[in-house]
Amino acid sequence: MKFLVSIKMVPDVYAPFQIKDGELIMDGDRMVLNAYDASAVEEALVLTEKYGGDVEVVCVGPAKASETIRKALAMGAAKGHHIVTTGTENLDSGSYATILAKFFDGQEYNILSFGKQSQDTDSGLTGGMVATKLNLPYTTNAVGLDIEGDKLVVKRQGDTGQEMIELPTPCLVTCSNDMNEPRIPNLKGIMASKRKPIDTINLEDLGIDDSDLLAVSMVTSYEYVPARAAGKKFEGEPEEIAAKVAQLLDTEANVL
Amino acid sequence: MSTLLTYVAIADGKVKRSSLEVLSHCKHLADAGGYACEAVIIDENPERFTDVVQNYGASKIYTIKHSVFSEHHNVALISALSKALGAINPSVFAISSTESTKDVLGALAANQNAAVVADVASFEITEDGVSAKRPMMAAKIIGNVEVKGSPVFISVRSGSYDLVENPTSAEVLSLDFDIAENDLRSTLREIITATGDTIDLNEAEAIVAAGRGVKDEEAKNLIAELAGVLNAGIGASRALTESGVYDPSLQIGQTGKVVSPQLYIAVGISGAIQHVAGMTNSKVIVAINKDADAPIFEVADYGIVGDLYKILPPFIEELKKIKN
Repeated sequence: MKFLVSIKMVPDVYAPFQIKDGELIMDGDRMVLNAYDASAVEEALVLTEKYGGDVEVVCVGPAKASETIRKALAMGAAKGHHIVTTGTENLDSGSYATILAKFFDGQEYNILSFGKQSQDTDSGLTGGMVATKLNLPYTTNAVGLDIEGDKLVVKRQGDTGQEMIELPTPCLVTCSNDMNEPRIPNLKGIMASKRKPIDTINLEDLGIDDSDLLAVSMVTSYEYVPARAAGKKFEGEPEEIAAKVAQLLDTEANVL
Repeated sequence: MSTLLTYVAIADGKVKRSSLEVLSHCKHLADAGGYACEAVIIDENPERFTDVVQNYGASKIYTIKHSVFSEHHNVALISALSKALGAINPSVFAISSTESTKDVLGALAANQNAAVVADVASFEITEDGVSAKRPMMAAKIIGNVEVKGSPVFISVRSGSYDLVENPTSAEVLSLDFDIAENDLRSTLREIITATGDTIDLNEAEAIVAAGRGVKDEEAKNLIAELAGVLNAGIGASRALTESGVYDPSLQIGQTGKVVSPQLYIAVGISGAIQHVAGMTNSKVIVAINKDADAPIFEVADYGIVGDLYKILPPFIEELKKIKN
């Protein structure tokens, strides 16, 4: 099976940030491989190690995103495709889907794999959009993958339980980070990644111009999450404080 | 007059409360702005829910009926929603955010060439679309989003709006729908569910959530007993669902379920940002943890510093007394 895994460079959600006049100020150097995408790469590697096949990654992002691609190559992917943006465009989920669908259209693959969402924006729309544009069977929020013959078998976390779904290939799947612990690249992997190919693709190469990418949604400003009112903390004799809080839930919070 | 359409989801033979929250908000927007408030119910037996739905203000209720909707199939749901959207042509299409709707929202928007915004905490109608607030960066910040277009598709986090009853006498219209098994394009082999009666966390009024501090059967029993007294759903942190102590369906957090009950009791949960992202909208938060510096206390209304084995038994006893 040949996997093409879509990966994204995102800000580290642990990095300190400030909001000034509605603008988000973060350290531009604290960029990481999206955690959900890392799980998608890991699972593709595990399955191809077991059953044979190839893993390539594709990343839409500015020049700096080549570092994110190197990370995936160091994990074990064979090749990277870097679709270069300036980093100043306002791209929404629909813009990414347009770019990726054009790219995949010219590629050979059995399985397109995505993280189920970006850890910075948490929208989770792009995978489904690409599946529609390419008319592929798909599913989302995978917590386990396996291959049976020419089928992909997905364990999907649904609302009431885990759905076991069989998809014919070619197909598309989006992955949760609950399915594995992505490997930390070792020195050998890191050295090898430097010799692995990354082909650089411009939007013009894909026949895309700015009018194709008009974002329909745009973050106009940021604000802090309203702080919760300071709570009460109880320390002391377990019986006393436990009973005290139970009573307050009844008389003060009125939630019993 | 343009229409605000709400998709009313059914689960376990009941209308999802979160759908009615969205419908309540759409009714409010419709009254304020002079729009029509309409709803679509998709189920194997949708007529049985029209009474509930018209109680929340929909003036027209469309029903789509098919046995395929006894389980979640993304192709079938997209096909049915496309049918409804084609017939109704709304300016705004709103749904509550669940694992089932997350599975179809992006694909449906691409399919209908609609503007879309996912997982908002609130939204308003603007001249050329919708403005919304949505939690970002693991719910550490709020982004103000402008969405331009018509239609705009929008999904709303559960607990974002209160239920407001608004009895209306709705016109009920059924839309023809059929789908062949071959057209589903995937096969749902089985659904593995947690054993026993579990309360849907998205709908629960109270939740008791277990974290790393819950290490053995004794602690699990205390969690179950506490949940029983409060008629609460049981949730868990990622640490406990990954290690298999609790079923994966019970995971609360950025990766799992985002919940907003009236009462959330976090037991032995340290409060990693990914967990807090999934529960910070709860009305009242109680944290029980033996580490006085655990970050969970920063979001708790009532923090109890102590060993859960010593705290929970008297806590449960006192709650039983109050409940009686």
